[in-house]
Amino acid sequence: MTAAGEVLRVENLRKRFGKEEVLKGISFKVDRGEVKVIMGPSGAGKSTLLKCIDLLIPPDEGSIWLEGVELTSPGINVNQYRRKIGFVFQEFNLFHHLTAIGNVMLGLTKVRKLPKNEARELAEEALLRVHIGRDLWDKYPAQLSGGQKQRVAIARALAMEPSIMLYDEPTSALDPQLTGEVLQVIKELAESGMTSVIVTHEVGFALEVADELMIMFDGEIIERGNPSEVIYSPESDSAKVFFKKVLRLGGVGR
Amino acid sequence: MSFWGDFLTRLSAGTLTTLELLSITIPLSIILGILIGVLRVYGGRLGSALANFYVFIFRGFPLLVTMMIMFFGLADVGIMLEPFWAASAAIILCSSAYQSEYVKTAILSIGKGQSLAARALGMNRFQEIAYVIMPQALRTALPGITNEILYMILYSSLAYVIGVSEIFASAMTMNSIWVRPGEIFGTIALVYLSMTTTASTVFKEIENRLRIPGFEGAR
Amino acid sequence: MSNLQVLAKYLPYIFDGSLWSLGLVGAGLGIGFAIGVLMSLGQVYGNPLIRKIVDAYTWFFRGTPLLVQLFLFHWSVFPAIGLRTTALETSMLVLGMRSGAYQSQIFRGSIESIEEGQVLAAKALGLSFWQQSLYVVLPQALRKAVPQLSNEYSIILKDSAVCFVLGVMEIMTRTRYVTIATGIALIPYLIAGALYIALTYLGAKAFDMVYSRIRIQGLVTG
Ligand SMILES: Nc1ncnc2c1ncn2[C@@H]1O[C@H](COP(=O)(O)OP(=O)(O)OP(=O)(O)O)[C@@H](O)[C@H]1O
Ligand SMILES: [Mg+2]
Repeated sequence: MTAAGEVLRVENLRKRFGKEEVLKGISFKVDRGEVKVIMGPSGAGKSTLLKCIDLLIPPDEGSIWLEGVELTSPGINVNQYRRKIGFVFQEFNLFHHLTAIGNVMLGLTKVRKLPKNEARELAEEALLRVHIGRDLWDKYPAQLSGGQKQRVAIARALAMEPSIMLYDEPTSALDPQLTGEVLQVIKELAESGMTSVIVTHEVGFALEVADELMIMFDGEIIERGNPSEVIYSPESDSAKVFFKKVLRLGGVGR
Repeated sequence: MSFWGDFLTRLSAGTLTTLELLSITIPLSIILGILIGVLRVYGGRLGSALANFYVFIFRGFPLLVTMMIMFFGLADVGIMLEPFWAASAAIILCSSAYQSEYVKTAILSIGKGQSLAARALGMNRFQEIAYVIMPQALRTALPGITNEILYMILYSSLAYVIGVSEIFASAMTMNSIWVRPGEIFGTIALVYLSMTTTASTVFKEIENRLRIPGFEGAR
Repeated sequence: MSNLQVLAKYLPYIFDGSLWSLGLVGAGLGIGFAIGVLMSLGQVYGNPLIRKIVDAYTWFFRGTPLLVQLFLFHWSVFPAIGLRTTALETSMLVLGMRSGAYQSQIFRGSIESIEEGQVLAAKALGLSFWQQSLYVVLPQALRKAVPQLSNEYSIILKDSAVCFVLGVMEIMTRTRYVTIATGIALIPYLIAGALYIALTYLGAKAFDMVYSRIRIQGLVTG
């Protein structure tokens, strides 16, 4: 991680759904090339946090800065900045009516307004980067395995040439034997310098890729720091209980 | 002139008029149906209220009532439509209301994740609807849309009531001259059967061609 | 008296047409129900010949306009088999036969949606085919079909307007007389339209009530 400057800054982010406060003032920043991993129990607000960063859910309070531009300032064209944030969903959300390559090309032709042939080249490149071979390019989502779907979804986000990638539990909807291929791709991207924020339950993976690990609990970041320190000797009781469970259920190193 | 010679002449003229009527009403009712369906879902409070009212009226009225209103009713307020255009207008109003129902249901059946993914790519509302939601929704709505077209073929016969010389009108004229109802209405039945059978075969073929893996169950 | 006053005087005359329209609908739904149940059983459990016959029947009734069916049966088919029917009787029978074709499709769908285990269990008890149908399959299938029957009601109600071509004294025929008597068309037809919407609404409510009565507790119907 070099100090090549800050990509994302989140300040005092708050969100409530009805009475329930789901985000209670979250702040952190991500530098270029940095990989942040967020862990925490179900319902802690991790998905809400990522969706707020991409403004897929409007935050109630706080500010979000992407490469020096405040996304939360009024009157900003959200779409222009959203394309610079790659989002990978737990349920893939591939467009059902488009082939693998069609999925990757759509954002390029419609949002980045690239000509077809140029879009196709970029799409092919992105697909190859996530190890989706030529034979799968013209397959529809329903004809792909879960792992293949998620890699196409990563390629779709990647092809937009984002400044940062957000992953929301990218392997939680996958059969255990398919998580490896997806984690491998995410790891390769991270190692190639892709700035990333990753929500995951995979402890071993977190240990491998995270520059910093943050633990979310009940809408707050209760612990953050060097991944192995946080995992093996957490300070707060909540984090201790959480990791006891996760380590027993998941095991380290897959 | 012989019975069959006379029948053939009148029947082909009538068939031509029916086909003309359908070639106008089918595309327009589909386009209007899609617009109204989209308006019902995305039209905001005012837009969807207006669109829902439109559907409430034209789905609630029997086509015959709408047809009478277009031809006789509008004349009360000085709007004199030719029978052909009054019939076209009535069929379009009625069928587009039904079409919009299929379109609306299909749009609502598209999962929330599709819209989220579109927005995450930086698409605006229009791009999301045009490139992600509608291509899927229209495929889902296709069986309903084609089914409605089959109804339009059948219900176009009601245009006879306001004096359009379509297929059924040619049968009524024939029967008043020759009074051979069995042969006349039997033949007319066959003409409609061949039209609906052909159309449904063609639609099946189109649905097969447009089939996308993973969309079979989407209904 | 102004034309509008005359029109006001005629309103009850139009409203009375509701009874005739509902009579047509009632007969159509009832006859259609009997035909539909038998044909759906034939289509699901019948031999190839029975299935062919059912297919041909639905092909004819779903592939031709009601208008053609009304004239064909009134002036040709019924007389040919020695049935001398009034316009009302023809209309009821034709609406019924036509609805039978549609209802058979509805029931077929709901019969096929019943799990195989139900029939297997009935067979294991030694029930005959008719007993299986009567005591196990139909009680479930017909309940499932109620929402679609409600839809069929609203379709027949609107179709019944077409019977005005034979001069049945239902809503449309009466409305047309009123337009001729008063020289006003727009308002009477709007009133007729509103009347159809009201009857559709009332019918749907009635079906909802029936459905909530006969729904099977705890069984999620598709
Ligand atoms: N659209 C919404 N409306 C109301 N409540 C919501 C909404 N989305 C999330 N919540 C609530 O916010 C809380 C946090 O949800 P969130 O999905 O962010 O948790 P999470 O940490 O991602 O959990 P998981 O590990 O299960 O994905 C939950 O209690 C959830 O019920
Ligand atoms: Mg989540």
